[in-house]
Amino acid sequence: MSAKKEFSVKWGMAIDLDKCTGCGACMVACQAENNLAPQADASNKRRVMNWLVVYELSNGKAFPDHEVAYLPRPCQQCAEQPCATVCPVVATERNEEGGIVSQVTPRCIGCRYCMAACPYHARYFNWFDPIWPKGMEKALTPDVSMRPRGVVEKCTFCHHRFMQAKDVLRTKGIDVYTRAVDGKHHCAIPENGYVTSCAEACPNGAIVFGDLNNPAHKVYQLVTGNDNAFRLLERLGTDTAVYYISSREWVRRLGDNYLPDEETQKPQQILPKKH
Amino acid sequence: MEINYNRPIDADLFPEGASRCSFTQFSLWMGFLTAILLVGLYAMFLVFRYGIGVTHLDDHFGFGLWITFDLAVIALGAGAFFTGLLRYILNIDPLKNIINLAVIFGFICYTGAMLVLVLDIGQPLRSWFGYWHANVHSMLTEVIFCITCYCIVLIIEYIPLIFEQKQLNRIPLLHHIAHNLHVTMPLFAGMGAFLSTFHQGSLGGMYGVLFGRPYAFRDGFFIWPWTFFLFVLSAAASGPMMTVLVGTIMEKCTGKKLISFDIKALMGKIAGTMLLVYLVFKFLDTGAWIMSIAPRSGLEFDQFFHGWIYGKWLLVAELLLCGVLPCVILLKKNLRENPALLYTAGLLDCAGITINRYVLTVQTLAFPSLPFEQWQTYAPNWVEWAPCFMVFAYAAVLLSLSYRYLPVFPQEKQLNG
Amino acid sequence: MKFVAGASAGIMATPVPWKLLDDVSIWTQNWSWIPRNQYGESTYAHAVSKMDPSGVPMRIRLVDGRPVRVLPVEDHPLGGGLTALSVAEVQMLYSPGRVKRPLLRAADGGFTELDWPAAAKILQEKLTEAGKNTAFISGDESSSTNEVLSAFAKGIGSDQVFFMPSEGQCASVAARLMGLEAQFGYDLEKSDYVLAIGANLLESWGTVVRNRRIFKESHPHPVRSAAKGIKEAAPMAVLAYAGSVQNNTAAVARPWLPIYPGSEGLLALGIANMLIAKGRVVDAADFDAFKALAAKFTPEEVARLTGVDPKKLEAVVEGLLKAKAPLVVVGSEFGQGAGAAPLMAAFAVNALLGNINRPGGLVLMPPAQTAMPKAEARSGMYAKDLASWIGTAKPALLVLHEANPVYALPDPESVAAALKNIPFKVSFSTFMDESAALCDLVLPIGMGIERTDDMESPYGCGGSVYCVTPAVVEAEQDVRSTANALLFVARKMGMDLGFETLMDLIKAKAQQYGKAKFDVLASGKALVDDRTVGPRGLKLRADILGKALQPAAKAKDALCLAPYAKLSMGTAKTGIPPYNNKTLRAGDLDGTAMTVLMNAATASKKGMANGDRLLLDSGRRRIAAKLRVYEGVMNDTVAVCLGFGHTALDEFSQNKGANVMELMTAAAEPGTGLSVWTGTAVAVSKA
Repeated sequence: MSAKKEFSVKWGMAIDLDKCTGCGACMVACQAENNLAPQADASNKRRVMNWLVVYELSNGKAFPDHEVAYLPRPCQQCAEQPCATVCPVVATERNEEGGIVSQVTPRCIGCRYCMAACPYHARYFNWFDPIWPKGMEKALTPDVSMRPRGVVEKCTFCHHRFMQAKDVLRTKGIDVYTRAVDGKHHCAIPENGYVTSCAEACPNGAIVFGDLNNPAHKVYQLVTGNDNAFRLLERLGTDTAVYYISSREWVRRLGDNYLPDEETQKPQQILPKKH
Repeated sequence: MEINYNRPIDADLFPEGASRCSFTQFSLWMGFLTAILLVGLYAMFLVFRYGIGVTHLDDHFGFGLWITFDLAVIALGAGAFFTGLLRYILNIDPLKNIINLAVIFGFICYTGAMLVLVLDIGQPLRSWFGYWHANVHSMLTEVIFCITCYCIVLIIEYIPLIFEQKQLNRIPLLHHIAHNLHVTMPLFAGMGAFLSTFHQGSLGGMYGVLFGRPYAFRDGFFIWPWTFFLFVLSAAASGPMMTVLVGTIMEKCTGKKLISFDIKALMGKIAGTMLLVYLVFKFLDTGAWIMSIAPRSGLEFDQFFHGWIYGKWLLVAELLLCGVLPCVILLKKNLRENPALLYTAGLLDCAGITINRYVLTVQTLAFPSLPFEQWQTYAPNWVEWAPCFMVFAYAAVLLSLSYRYLPVFPQEKQLNG
Repeated sequence: MKFVAGASAGIMATPVPWKLLDDVSIWTQNWSWIPRNQYGESTYAHAVSKMDPSGVPMRIRLVDGRPVRVLPVEDHPLGGGLTALSVAEVQMLYSPGRVKRPLLRAADGGFTELDWPAAAKILQEKLTEAGKNTAFISGDESSSTNEVLSAFAKGIGSDQVFFMPSEGQCASVAARLMGLEAQFGYDLEKSDYVLAIGANLLESWGTVVRNRRIFKESHPHPVRSAAKGIKEAAPMAVLAYAGSVQNNTAAVARPWLPIYPGSEGLLALGIANMLIAKGRVVDAADFDAFKALAAKFTPEEVARLTGVDPKKLEAVVEGLLKAKAPLVVVGSEFGQGAGAAPLMAAFAVNALLGNINRPGGLVLMPPAQTAMPKAEARSGMYAKDLASWIGTAKPALLVLHEANPVYALPDPESVAAALKNIPFKVSFSTFMDESAALCDLVLPIGMGIERTDDMESPYGCGGSVYCVTPAVVEAEQDVRSTANALLFVARKMGMDLGFETLMDLIKAKAQQYGKAKFDVLASGKALVDDRTVGPRGLKLRADILGKALQPAAKAKDALCLAPYAKLSMGTAKTGIPPYNNKTLRAGDLDGTAMTVLMNAATASKKGMANGDRLLLDSGRRRIAAKLRVYEGVMNDTVAVCLGFGHTALDEFSQNKGANVMELMTAAAEPGTGLSVWTGTAVAVSKA
């Protein structure tokens, strides 16, 4: 396995599960932003292309003690990717400042090994060619190219918006990366200068996006030392860039597999022994 | 020359001194196989024309029947490399009587698997990216490298056999090529053994490295997870028996003795030994999986199984019924020298390895990796089955042609004297 | 042989195979049938969603003049994000269900295409011919188009101008019955304790994006650290929800009080009684009568009637009493059919809490003004009950404006039958919906972002608000706006309605609203007016409440029907937008079968299990469904999502489940003149 790459800037999310109502606006915003094709029959969820999926979580109790929570699941942008390490053709890798796991669809041969590797089901295959209703191709954005059948795709944290934000700085003559007092590189993109489409759409502010390494960013403040924060399948050691927060222990406990006698863990307490 | 109307019209092409069925009968058989091939070709057309969406594969089961099939046939085709290794490198001479069959069957398995792989990847036109943009960290890259290289080796091993065809061998050039290739065969056998060991291992490694999938993930040695070694051993344990079974099936079909039973029993002994080694490690591995990987993933053993379809019976069948039982039969001289028991053990052995490849492929993915998910189930559709049967038919075609026209079985004349 | 070998080696030495390989990698990225990115300059325009009934301000991104994205607007009183419906507005421009040009019913039953002048001529003839026997139904409550409709109707002697049923209508009628000339406003921004009873605040009730922004602002992210000694901050405002389904609001509300569907008003009366017991009074002439009525709703009685947990209710009432600015919002879990009485009861509760016209309380906004001389006020249109009228009336001509009664009214089959009896029907519609498909003349109108339109104080807002939405893009289809088409026909018929176009009317309206310039409004500015009107002459109308608020009759083994709404499923007008069916979760739809929800106790009582095929029978109509056991549903209740079962529109809406409206029948609400259909009971059996 390749050594873990650390970046000065690490884009990430804090998703507040006490705020998410499961409305699906983020999912629609994602599709429109990233030029996904609609599907007339989307009833078979295992064949529905959604880079971002909102899962329904239950506390497992009977009425009236039942509680429900909704969990939006973008690509977790792992620092230790189960996926990129297995791709035979380097069609996906995490090799750029910002720590976003890329997906180079023109490179992808469609072997789907990465899908088998990803425990978050964040990867989707184009089982057929994408078809837009006549005329709807006019509503496609110029930012994300369309993918043919036979390739795998996934959430990129709206990487094109990252590039646009950098372009904005460059046109103003501002250096994208600056060295801060702590000696680390920080990105000069202002806190809201780069936001993913899903985070932007959510009226509840359930998705907070920013630099996990930047103490000035809200996302940093929300996840650092927050006992209510957790990551999905943390103990696998994937070291994801998507944190979830909830004051409800049952929600946090559903973020990972636990033996019955194990206590619900705080983030980064469960360190992988080996992988 | 006087024409003997009792002889099949293609009799001049037969191996020296061999008798074969009538050409009409042979054509009927070929016609039947062609029909299966055509169905498979139609399925392939559907996949290439419309996309892999015509199958029952989906985002949850990106791997399914095809990958299981590939892994199984590559394991079962391992008779070629393993027998080659024993025959040419370790000089176990009696194996010369079965090595041709092993090579042909290996060739069939690998080319068949490659054919199915071409179907299985979404962008077959980009399959060469595996070389051009290789990710050296990926087990699959190693698989792509080794399988394609080994396929070339198998072609090289197959060529002299083809050139030894009675009529072709009269052409001096072909005769010399065949002869020279024979001389260099130990080199290719060595290469084959090396390549094959690595890709068998890499195929296993493919699963063992999936640290996001506790069902498949295994610790290991250096960069190789234990499944790497288990796959090599299990292939060596099942490949020879598969070669024996294929030879036996050919005997049943042709009504002739093609391989003497002592050779088969020898193969059985070799396979049994390998199976024993494999099982020792497999049990250790299963123990480590249950005692270490499961708990540190926060999982209990029972959580790896679901209902009937992914039940514990698969594990029991794989390890005991299709593992320990054939191992005992193959290792005990008196048992393995009973043909019925030898063949049963062979079948069980191969079935066990196939179950292993199946559960690692499908059950790994069916398992709910996110704690709030449910188990998912997968059943292939006809579009997935048809190319598999097409490969079976292709195997039958190639074996039939090779048997009819090539000197595959050195003992044939003697045994049917 | 040598030749083949030599040729192979030779070819490999030439650039041909390598060039071919290189080309292959390019081909496989550029198949001709995959659309390519079209580049261009990005521009942005402001608009307000007319597709989404919750009034969402939007920023439209255009590339080379083509709208490609709907983006949120932050600095707007109704803004702060997007709903799952409004975010799909750009894609809806290209919905396969769009009406492309005017269509006229031909003798063979099909449609023939015609041009607008010809269509306008037919419309004029039909309107002239039908005269006062013409009825109008509008599906857009907040647009000035309604002034054109009502003024036009008056011009031809008709007063039959209806709105499609809505929560706004229930509230308006409630206000009128209580002697208030006002629109109810809800100052959620300043409230520190909101109890929503049936009102799905965060998904389908009122100004959804605004409600949700307020929820965001009042609920800090849960940060807690034992090491640093940081305790979780309490929310600045409590959001409690009472309803029969653990819907989007209940998912994040603390607490959720499960009650039977249709018992919202009874719960409000129970709360009123508890507040009166704590000494709260209302300055109203008939307070004593109200007090006497409320006294019947003891906590035990309320628990029996609504199924509410008395302890939880008591805690909520405590919370309301302790709060500085408590607010009780009553609505229908599916945004319609509640009648006026629950809203009246809610008003009484708010009055008892002393929050009328107070910050964070229930606001009495001045009623929406008209700018067109002959136009009827919104409240006047609200006063007419469509559901009861449609079954009985027999107009000669029916004109629909963005209305789909054949799908959206209770008992759609009867509505369709009633429509078939109307000699000539016209639909101004963007999409070929179920009603348009039944009409004789279908006139395509542009989508919100293709036309100039306005939005005046949508129901649920906290103060009067006026927004203009300009045409952001020119329609590709041959469309007009309803208002302009009618104004054109009016002139042809010799009627002077005071304005030539809707734009003129909007300009006049903008002037009326604080002398604002059209251009300023069109660039996304909202006009806000915080004036209130006093609750002078308030009557609590116990006489009506006593009759209207009765527990729904239900056969012993029948289940309560709890329809619920999700904006993602679109509206009756739009159907499910192309991207939105993907937001359905696994199990919401099994192939074409929809799922309905019951808790495990209810299911086992009925001998049913997860995955069973069911029939829901209202006695008149039946729908088929699949059972999903979901513990977030009230006992003895079956929850069904709205928005399925479209037979018209496009492939994204069709072949998906059944329309739950089929199971409902409108019943008269005593004393209010409205119809109610929130308390439906259904027999459920295995199919």
